[in-house]
Amino acid sequence: MTLPRVLFVTGKGGTGKSTVAAALAEALSHRRPTLLADLDRRLSAATLLGASPQGDAPVRVSDSLHVIALSQRAELNSFIRRIVPVAAISERMLRSRTFGYVTAALPGLEAFLLLDRLRIMAGDAALEDRYVVIDAPASGSALELLAVASGVKEIAPAGTLNRLANGVEAFLADRDRFAAIITTTPEELALREALDTARALRDQMGIAVAGAIVNRTVDALFEESELAALAGLRAHRQLAQKRTAQRIAALAACAELERAGMAAFELPMLFRAAMGVREVSALARALESGVLNR
Amino acid sequence: MKPAFDPARFKLVVCLGPGGVGKTTISAALAVAGTSKGSAVDVMTVDPAPRLLDALGLGGDASEPRDVPLHGIRIAHPPHAKRARLRALKLDPKQTFDAIMTRYAPSAAARDTMLGNRIYRNLSGALAGVGDYMAMEKLLELASNTATDLIVLDTPPAAEALDFLDAPRRLLELLNSRAVALLGTPIVGLFRSRLGIVDLAARAVLSAFDRVTGLNLLGDVQAFVRGFEGMYEGFAERAKAADELLRADGTAIVVVTTPESGRIEQAREFIESLERTGLHARAVIVNRAMGPLPDAKELAAAKIPSALKRKLARNLADYAALKEREARSLDALRSAMPSGARLLLSPELDREPRSLGDLAKIGANLRTA
Repeated sequence: MTLPRVLFVTGKGGTGKSTVAAALAEALSHRRPTLLADLDRRLSAATLLGASPQGDAPVRVSDSLHVIALSQRAELNSFIRRIVPVAAISERMLRSRTFGYVTAALPGLEAFLLLDRLRIMAGDAALEDRYVVIDAPASGSALELLAVASGVKEIAPAGTLNRLANGVEAFLADRDRFAAIITTTPEELALREALDTARALRDQMGIAVAGAIVNRTVDALFEESELAALAGLRAHRQLAQKRTAQRIAALAACAELERAGMAAFELPMLFRAAMGVREVSALARALESGVLNR
Repeated sequence: MKPAFDPARFKLVVCLGPGGVGKTTISAALAVAGTSKGSAVDVMTVDPAPRLLDALGLGGDASEPRDVPLHGIRIAHPPHAKRARLRALKLDPKQTFDAIMTRYAPSAAARDTMLGNRIYRNLSGALAGVGDYMAMEKLLELASNTATDLIVLDTPPAAEALDFLDAPRRLLELLNSRAVALLGTPIVGLFRSRLGIVDLAARAVLSAFDRVTGLNLLGDVQAFVRGFEGMYEGFAERAKAADELLRADGTAIVVVTTPESGRIEQAREFIESLERTGLHARAVIVNRAMGPLPDAKELAAAKIPSALKRKLARNLADYAALKEREARSLDALRSAMPSGARLLLSPELDREPRSLGDLAKIGANLRTA
């Protein structure tokens, strides 16, 4: 699969979006230098890679993998500092409650500045031949975030923001620079949301979807005939049937995603008692042999 | 058998929790549980899945409460049964906000100016925070109906517990800010006002900001705040009423989460920030908890082909690892439980609930962890 510079990983809450973003960044870093941009306040993806970025500087995970924490608030602050270069005034303003109220009434502004930051990061990534993987918000909020570019053009019909908005729109629509990856699980609600998100991105917003990752799929361990022979052992049979049902659901989910025009990839359920750095590496290997080889 | 959590004991049940944990399903299940006890129940949902909409008969526009036909559930013995009723509605933040403006605006002209204001349009759009406030408004409206015994409130997915509970206060602060109101007044007038130097600086920078960005915010902000003149009292009263309702004895705050470690951590943060504001969760419901595992000894003793036995043993070991992961998460949650709150599990289902009967089953299957 050909990948753009910036990959925006989103999906329904609880589908393992941060885990997938972390594993994808690790897998890509084996090919080229990669930066994971963690948009989540809790920095779950960064933590899964064993990194704890602070402030606005990337931290090193390996020679080819770095992690940075991004937040809307920090982008607003740096925007203010850019247009008000006198530090004494800009600092004062950022601390002022009045200013806080005004920006609170325009929540799209902060989100928009974050998008603009991603656009700049994509430019840098192209120059330095790098990938950027974004651990984005869950799909509902992610769609709101991406839609903000056109919203800003409406509220700022002229001036700096309008110019930036045009740049951001062009960036999001350029499949060489930006694409979404949608995470889901085989479960019905997650799959539904993945399909809705893909539709909204592609059809309404003109944003490319590089593929869908069906997370936590199980392997087929049992044959139908084997289970039929299990007359006793009711509880064991049920657990085996659960696995078979999950296998069938995974196949059905992939088929439905493909029917909707998306490349679908399975990521295995890790039957481990904890999720940490080692588990993310295992998933990264699965992604390398699956997604990235196709 | 006594239920693990009986919503019918309360007048209001507020379900809080991060996105994607099944808050709406749990809310609906608690509402059905209340109804089957013979209560007159209203359930307000925020973003229900299509099947749940079907189960509650909420197709199309349902921004006002609609009666749900009580098929497939058993209602407690008479005389309570007579009262039993379930109404459901779907929150429409934009419509609720417009209705409030219409109610409080001093004149039709004032209302129209307001509805056309750019800041207002942004505030009332699908942007974070406003949905929270509107849910609160709608709640007060429902709570004023004395024919209702119990309201179950599903809330918008939140990163933090207080996003929702704090919404009225945040809006009030914005409206009440003298500094904001004075943003557009001529500079001479400002010196006579008692604005601090910081606000003056902010005003100067905001006008510079306006020029560079092309936003022309100052005028809009001022018009917005001025538009609220005469409405402020109404809003302040509503905010106070909402706060009192949330703290009332008959109100139960329920935190909903799933066993996944990230979600458990979020639930812990929810509980802690609730405690800090003097609100106490009555129950924490862990949705989609794994059921009990089969017995390993039974398998060892079974007379079946050894290849199949090995596979079944592997299958058991696989799910046991997941169960262990879940147990660790639950332990972490248990240590954060406030005193007097119950930790409950809602077992995972084979499929999404699609009928009132399914929802009733979820309510009946809640068990203490």
